[in-house]
Amino acid sequence: MTPAWHLLMFTLCLGAFAALALGMERPQETLLQRPLGVAASRAWRLAGWGLLAAALWLALAAPGWTRGLVALSGHTSAAAALVLLALVLRERWGATR
Amino acid sequence: MSKTPTKAKAQAAPRGIRQTMSDLHIWTGLLAGWILYAMFLTGTVSYFREEISRYMRPELPAAQALPDAGQTAERVAASILRQAPGTPQMRITLPTPRNPTASAFWRLPADGQPGAEAGARRRRGGGAFGEGLFDAATAERLHARATTGGDFFFRFHFNLHYMPPLWGRWIAGLCAMFMLVAIVSGVITHKKIFIDFFTFRWGKGQRSWLDAHNALSVFGLPFHFMITWSGLITLMLMYMPWGLQSMAPPERAAVRAEMRSFIPPEQPAGRAAPLRPLADFVQQGEQRWGAGGVGAVQVNLAGDANARVIVTRQQAQRIATTPHYLVFDGTTGQMLQAKDASGPAATTQGVLYGLHLGRFADIVTRWLYFLVSLAGTAMVGTGLVLWTVKRRARLPDPDRPYFGFRLVERLNIAAIAGLSLGMAGMLWANRLLPLEMAQRAAWEVHAVFILWAAALAWALLRPAKRAWVELLWLAAAALALLPLLTALTTERPFWRSLMDGDWVFAGMELSLLALAALHAALAWRTQRHQPRQRPARKAADAPRRPAPVAPASVTPTPAEPVPALATLPAGESA
Repeated sequence: MTPAWHLLMFTLCLGAFAALALGMERPQETLLQRPLGVAASRAWRLAGWGLLAAALWLALAAPGWTRGLVALSGHTSAAAALVLLALVLRERWGATR
Repeated sequence: MSKTPTKAKAQAAPRGIRQTMSDLHIWTGLLAGWILYAMFLTGTVSYFREEISRYMRPELPAAQALPDAGQTAERVAASILRQAPGTPQMRITLPTPRNPTASAFWRLPADGQPGAEAGARRRRGGGAFGEGLFDAATAERLHARATTGGDFFFRFHFNLHYMPPLWGRWIAGLCAMFMLVAIVSGVITHKKIFIDFFTFRWGKGQRSWLDAHNALSVFGLPFHFMITWSGLITLMLMYMPWGLQSMAPPERAAVRAEMRSFIPPEQPAGRAAPLRPLADFVQQGEQRWGAGGVGAVQVNLAGDANARVIVTRQQAQRIATTPHYLVFDGTTGQMLQAKDASGPAATTQGVLYGLHLGRFADIVTRWLYFLVSLAGTAMVGTGLVLWTVKRRARLPDPDRPYFGFRLVERLNIAAIAGLSLGMAGMLWANRLLPLEMAQRAAWEVHAVFILWAAALAWALLRPAKRAWVELLWLAAAALALLPLLTALTTERPFWRSLMDGDWVFAGMELSLLALAALHAALAWRTQRHQPRQRPARKAADAPRRPAPVAPASVTPTPAEPVPALATLPAGESA
């Protein structure tokens, strides 16, 4: 799996978890200072799951699909952690403004 | 989440499954936690075991383009046969991009025969063997300082140390079983696992630790479950031997042959017959498995009419660890056996073992393995610390905690900060111990445990918070100064590694600096941490005064609620 494949995979996972976060109440408070409506939240979560599905497709389309799945597992963990880190930093630095 | 009279009723009700799972999680996590932390951290660094080994053998040349595998095999074999002409068995591991040096071991002829080496190592079960590292291009014997390298961390991870490997594997396996219970009970107990997925409350003491522990656990959950279960599966024949024991020895051997390759030499024919060029055999392997597909070449009875050549597949090419090899008649070149499949049970075990080892991983996947495994290490560490943080708030007298609390607190310091110090200490010993020292490799390992024991002593003698801070700063310094130490004591200073593009050395030293920064950040935060004031402490001071005067002024007035001595709001059960 080439570096480009990994980059695309990570981007998909990062986008997916960012979208899922935007569909949840507490992160919405942190990022947008107000909760979005039920419909908007559902739309964001759908987008998030959709991107995860795309990531799964990319994993299975890799030259070795078992390696692709292993890489997917790693990228989802890393991407989720990065989104959380961004939320924490936003809350800390946003609060001092 | 309100504290209403219904909460009092709920507490009188039988403990629900979340509460029992929470208790189970805390007990299994605590009892196995210190050993699990060590297993996790040494396992984490083992993903870069080859790179650590190269870092600890600075005399070996940096990576260069790999020559043809067949030529390498021939030259190394010729070199071995010059030294040990009658060797009944030799195994050559071909160089790889991660480990560009050829290595080999060979069984020595009986003492007194040509080739028997003075001071050769003895294997348990008898029979001396020689081993060595060879330059991939010239097959010249390479000499590097005596060290176990990254292999120490790898083997400690499941064998522990200073005990028979069998004991170590039983202890490690028991801890792994506890870990499995901890994972399942942890998931059941974590009530709002989806809602709280992105929750992290900074600076809230116990809740921050809990959030950190949860985040590390949940984000890495696929890995943590896989690594724990696959670790047990790796040694499944040891932990659950009854199936195998119910078989007769020949069938038992057949089962084992499905999982690992072991081809002992035939009886020598006694007639000399020239060995065919090894490059031919390697080429057949590469035809079957692709370029770089051959991992090792084993030659039994070289020069005898019954010679065999076994060509083994490169492990990095596949996930499963089931044996793939070709057996040839060494003199005629005829292929006698081709093993490239195993039964479903062995394949399942092989895939799980392969996932655990991660030898198939490319560099990005390898880094992901490392980072998520590091998160798992932190998961265990935050769990251990959370135990004390939670209970410190409930201590009736914070200056005189009960024995169990003191024990856990001090063991935490030694197990966490002490291990970092010990592991860094091995690298220091690697750079500083005299090259010609006897038992040099063993003493590098002793250094790990000497420092670890010293950290335990420090943790017992110093006040707890100071011990944390001092040991974390010491570990940070030990890690950060390694690049400088390397520059002073070896020919591989960091500026040369950067200029030459030697990413093994440069990557190691950058990683050491990053880990040093992590330890420094932890030390800094611990140093600056001030426990929150608890006004209720004033009521606790009263009994310590010699005169049993009841100071009415300091008892909390009925208007003030008793401050939250970590009574958890309903809904948080950990």
